Amino acid sequence: MELGLPMIELHDVHVDYMVQRHGFSSIKSYLTSFGTKRLLERKRILHGVDLRIDSGECFGIVGRNGSGKSTLLRLLAGIVEPSKGVANIRGRVAPMLALGVGLEPELSGWENVRLCRLLMGHEHRDRDAIRRYVSTFSGLSDEDLAMQVKRYSTGMMARLGFAIATATDPEILLIDEVLAVGDVAFQQQCYRRIEALKAKGCTIVFVSHMLGEVQRICDRAACVEAGTIVKVGTTHEVGMYYHELLGIPT
Amino acid sequence: MVRAVAWRNVRLRYKSSMLGFVWTLLNPLLFLLIFLLIFSEAFPQVENYPVFALSGLILWSFFATSSAHVMGALVENAAVLRSLAVPPLVFPLAQVLAGLFNLGMSFVPFAFILHFFGRVPHGTDVLVIPIVLCFAVFIFGLSLALSALNVFFRDIGLLWNALLPAMFYLTPIAYPSDLVPERMRWVMEVNPLYQYIAAFREVLYHGRIPQMETWVILAGLACISAAFGGMVYRFFRPGFIANY
Repeated sequence: MELGLPMIELHDVHVDYMVQRHGFSSIKSYLTSFGTKRLLERKRILHGVDLRIDSGECFGIVGRNGSGKSTLLRLLAGIVEPSKGVANIRGRVAPMLALGVGLEPELSGWENVRLCRLLMGHEHRDRDAIRRYVSTFSGLSDEDLAMQVKRYSTGMMARLGFAIATATDPEILLIDEVLAVGDVAFQQQCYRRIEALKAKGCTIVFVSHMLGEVQRICDRAACVEAGTIVKVGTTHEVGMYYHELLGIPT
Repeated sequence: MVRAVAWRNVRLRYKSSMLGFVWTLLNPLLFLLIFLLIFSEAFPQVENYPVFALSGLILWSFFATSSAHVMGALVENAAVLRSLAVPPLVFPLAQVLAGLFNLGMSFVPFAFILHFFGRVPHGTDVLVIPIVLCFAVFIFGLSLALSALNVFFRDIGLLWNALLPAMFYLTPIAYPSDLVPERMRWVMEVNPLYQYIAAFREVLYHGRIPQMETWVILAGLACISAAFGGMVYRFFRPGFIANY
């Protein structure tokens, strides 16, 4: 893929969630409020977000808990739609928003590879190539992969999850701090894979609390605060800004 | 994708149990046993009571299990729905398909049991297929609405569990419909379950072809239920992501 093409373009994007402000979790509590409280209320999670990320770029997103990072990533993954504004996402997205998502504990590793890839919307082609890649990358033996996933360790799940998401070179890879669980060797392996994908023109969006990680693998970054992007720049600039925001002396 | 998830559901239902699919037959068979012990003397006017009871129990068991599975489908897959761009509808749909597959499989042992009780197979028996398909659409619509509500109100499941036995006794499954007093008959006739079970029995028990009017009612109820489920689902859909 050609480098430098816009892969992600957001123009004045707003995202609203319909939340239960009064926290009804049962019909009983809703009915006993006698209609005095509304069931759902609109809550603005993201507002006025403008962003452009090009192909072959590794883009970091930092921000405090609850600032809207995950919602931004969900928007890029196509899980939520903008309530206002335009979001253009061009290319095949491989989302890694949570570790081992879609893995069904009762099924074997191989069955999960098939199921998860379908859930991610990838067609099931090049089966042999995918099988080879998954077993090489994850380092799991054929015996492991034939075993039920519920018997896996957290690290094994992380390996399988990452292998499934990156099996057929995605055009956009979204990572939400899921690499922290594996051991150092696994993290190194993931970073190498990320580098390789980047060289092929894959766009990577990497969300993390840890500024060090972002500075290590990303070219540019953005800082999200209170539902909007407050700073875009090099990882160094954004890092300084983020530290100031948190009140940490640099 | 729906097919893959449905297949996963089928596998999950059988995988962790040694006897697998035998368990799903256990419930209707236990009921049949109880009915035979208690009621077969009570309704002397019903000819071949076991076939009569079993033809009702098969459909009831499909209704009770499928509605419960579909209802939980969105909430149980919350983790996936929060992190992957999967249309939520996939999961309820897959549950109904898994339920249909299950029902199809259970027809094999049921056919043997019916045969054992002296029922002779008939060419018109294939008519149970369109009846079951209409019923599946009906169940899907109703349970889709419940599954959407379940995202916001987790006590829907408890409410449904309380309602199910009441519906079971309200529907003429164990007893013949002509035992219902004349003035209460309307209660039975507005019950959609009765319409499906009556048509199913018409084919399996009486060996008759249901009338045109019956088919219109069955298809009509299925359409109304699907439209209702679709409306409720679309109304609540924007609120799913923040409330799973």
